[in-house]
Amino acid sequence: MALPPKNAPCWLKLANGGMKSLRTTNLGAQMLSQRLELSKLPPAQKAEEIHAFFVKWERGLTNEIAQLGGV
Amino acid sequence: MKSLNLAASDRGRINALLSVDDTIALIRAGAPLAIAGREAALDALPPGNWIGGTTPYFMTVEGGSIIDDTRLFVSDFSGLGAVRVATYDGDHLAGISEDAPENGFALAIIPFQSAVHERFAKEAGSYPQAFLKPTVGWIAGFDLGESGAAAFVYDGVHATRHNNRAVVLHVDLPAGAYPSVEIVNIFEADGVETIRFEEATFAPATVLVDGERRSFVDYVRSRGLDGGKLPLVGDYSGARINASIRAVEADKVQLYAPVFPGIDYAFAGAVADYAGAFREAFAGHAHDDAIWSCNCILNFLFGELEGKAIGGCAGPVTFGEIAYQLVNQTLVQVRAV
Repeated sequence: MALPPKNAPCWLKLANGGMKSLRTTNLGAQMLSQRLELSKLPPAQKAEEIHAFFVKWERGLTNEIAQLGGV
Repeated sequence: MKSLNLAASDRGRINALLSVDDTIALIRAGAPLAIAGREAALDALPPGNWIGGTTPYFMTVEGGSIIDDTRLFVSDFSGLGAVRVATYDGDHLAGISEDAPENGFALAIIPFQSAVHERFAKEAGSYPQAFLKPTVGWIAGFDLGESGAAAFVYDGVHATRHNNRAVVLHVDLPAGAYPSVEIVNIFEADGVETIRFEEATFAPATVLVDGERRSFVDYVRSRGLDGGKLPLVGDYSGARINASIRAVEADKVQLYAPVFPGIDYAFAGAVADYAGAFREAFAGHAHDDAIWSCNCILNFLFGELEGKAIGGCAGPVTFGEIAYQLVNQTLVQVRAV
């Protein structure tokens, strides 16, 4: 499954709490999720950070990317 | 003792205990190395492309080991990509990840009980590049049987040692490979109570238990956990991140890693067979293309791991482990996958 483009709504949904609902065993994704939940950054900035994370580690996030359509 | 030509691990890279002379030969051959051992042995090494840190405790494939100053644990990063040495003071620790290669990772060693240790522990998860350029590593320690011993880290390039800087290897990986940072944690929340803390600290005075503020030291004692064998387990979106008890004093509890507000914690349930639990947990993880790993001194001590094998991992036994941020009582490994 291809990674959704940067302007896809899934990134903002992840930034607004959807990251916690992802089923993942990827340690980086889990720790990033926790950091963003506690962060006071605006959602758009969190969404950028999540998108950058998925772009960087796309090869190792196949299962997580498959869940993005249902976020 | 293993001879140099027999000590190779995955893909011919050395990750094993070597004599000081063999280590010196590798340094002089220009190998990029991370080296761990006693202070006297590290002090004897020549300049070169290496970093180091003090600890006499190790896990080897054959089992846990406490070494003297005739040997060192050597992890060779030859054959991967460019490897650079850097050091950071407390004001520039974000550079550990920021300066890491785009396709690689940072291996950091930080001295125990230093201001850099405390600052990294509190800040690492918030560094801008923390999750894009991962950091693994360990907290250097010392022989617990030596009074007055201290932890040091070494910058081989400048032939200097430090007690308040982080030393780092920035390791580039070949095109097509990427670093996978993984932990093996045998502890799980005991399910008794979820607790929270109100500030980021190594020494929480109070704890929120079901929303009620209580003295943390009283809470620990009331739970019968002042022996310190069981860590706090933090729930990081499903990842179990430990903070271990260092000391239970009259009026406070000292931890080996800070707790943070906003994280759900619980004490870990008891583990009857440490070595067996590690073997089982370790077997459940992939270890292909493992480059480096470390394990915790508390696992070594409480699990009585000296002479016991827990799987194929080998590396320093440390006073704190780094997997993006400081963790405790955890095995950390990085693989090139």
